[in-house]
Amino acid sequence: MRKMAMLEVKDLKVSYGAIQAVQGVSFRLDKGEIVALIGSNGAGKSTILRTISGLERAKGGSILFEGEELVRLKAHKIVERGIAHVPEGRRVFPGLTVTENLRMGANLLRDKAKITESLGKVFDIFPRLKERERQQAGTLSGGEQQMLALGRALMTEGKLLMLDEPSMGLAPIIVEEIFEVIKRINAMGTSILLIEQNAFLALNTASRAYVLETGKITMEGDSKALLDDDRVKAAYLGA
Amino acid sequence: MTYFFQYLIYGLQLGSVYALLALGYTMVYGIVGMINFAHGDFLMIGALGTYFIAQAFESFQVGSAYPMLIIGLIILIAMVGTGAIASGVEAIAYRPLRNKPRMIALITAVGVSMFLENFPRALPFIGPNPRSFPTLFQAKNLDLFGATITTTQLVMIVLAVVTMVVLYLVVNRTKIGSQMRAVSMDKDAASLMGININKVISITFFIGGALAAVSGICYASAYPQVDVYMGSWLGNMSFVSAVLGGIGDIRGAMLGGFILGIAQIFATAINSTFGYAVGFIILIVILLVKPAGIMGRLVVEKV
Repeated sequence: MRKMAMLEVKDLKVSYGAIQAVQGVSFRLDKGEIVALIGSNGAGKSTILRTISGLERAKGGSILFEGEELVRLKAHKIVERGIAHVPEGRRVFPGLTVTENLRMGANLLRDKAKITESLGKVFDIFPRLKERERQQAGTLSGGEQQMLALGRALMTEGKLLMLDEPSMGLAPIIVEEIFEVIKRINAMGTSILLIEQNAFLALNTASRAYVLETGKITMEGDSKALLDDDRVKAAYLGA
Repeated sequence: MTYFFQYLIYGLQLGSVYALLALGYTMVYGIVGMINFAHGDFLMIGALGTYFIAQAFESFQVGSAYPMLIIGLIILIAMVGTGAIASGVEAIAYRPLRNKPRMIALITAVGVSMFLENFPRALPFIGPNPRSFPTLFQAKNLDLFGATITTTQLVMIVLAVVTMVVLYLVVNRTKIGSQMRAVSMDKDAASLMGININKVISITFFIGGALAAVSGICYASAYPQVDVYMGSWLGNMSFVSAVLGGIGDIRGAMLGGFILGIAQIFATAINSTFGYAVGFIILIVILLVKPAGIMGRLVVEKV
């Protein structure tokens, strides 16, 4: 018998007006895994993450996190349950400094010593942020903003980290750096749900992956197997 | 020269009313990006409410004024009550429209304003007739460079400045303040930090309403007549103040309020009709010359 999944999405449906962005998607993520959702622009990947976080309302289906139904919960309650979400386009608070942004991530933590400790941990992972502590987030480079968005999500002390296109708009060398960190975060015990347009990168990072096309899952399996799959190669790996 | 100081005092007095009211406009705009055209009516609710609360406390009256403790209590009840009504208005009228185009919220605000003015007007125990506002403070006259300043005026001006400083510190130094700033910058990102944005917006309206009540008490202490329409004109002038100072900026609202108050009094001294026009002349000039307002900056965001 399979043990209970950390995150189990069943037959999820989401619409924007008349447009069905997500049409009955099911997938699961076990504790400690990195799972990737890959697919082209407009396949519904971001919508799925936004719905798990409570930023969008599901039309149907269920989202179980550690056995608890999330579909009716408000976004701030879902963060409390232990899901951290780095949204598309990073969405750092431009007018706040790097430290203020990170402290905002610790919004739910009461213990001051714990916040300082988490802050130290994030600065250990991203020394670049430490250097820019007092700088306004809006003036950071794209890569630094991505690091800040990741750091801010880590400050929420979530058990599951959802990343929406962490490589978008970044130089290859920065992307490599960010993905090294993602693997490190996972090794430290945080489960990761990753969305990527760059399928090669995603499949090399994740243990399992789901392929999404216009709101439906068309393929799923081990990343290694998908990397060798001819259809995936043709559609997403440019082979 | 004596006249100059006397007008300046009147200007600062009127300015403190505008400033307190402008703070509410600016905070609500900052956090939900809408102009709450019903905000001036919160001033009326505060002033009219104070009239009734003061009546209820009539037995405590000493001579023609109230003891300090009772004044404090009256003001506190008025602030909490008006704040609660402001939060209620947000929850009932504005929250359901938050993700709709801005024009819809704007029109709703105009509707709410009409309701807040005409509903009490229709109530038999309030009605359309102006009432004379009770004397809360027993004012003493003080001499300042040959001009006269009353203790009431002094209290009002100091109160307005202190309120602004406190509000500025709350927004910039406290947890709820940093949550407000986060919500004003990016609501989605704020909720992903575990911030309950509905609660933060409610609190913002509450604070705005409470300040409007103080502003109404200040105004009615200086011009002791209250009626259900008193908020609309004062609201417009305070809105101009907020735009003048740079809408969304707390210091700007304060500065704009005092500038407009002083300008209006000096203009009235020249010609009484001109006094009312000066606010709109200032508005037109600021929109042409520096549309972001005195303290406002056009924010550059990287995406």
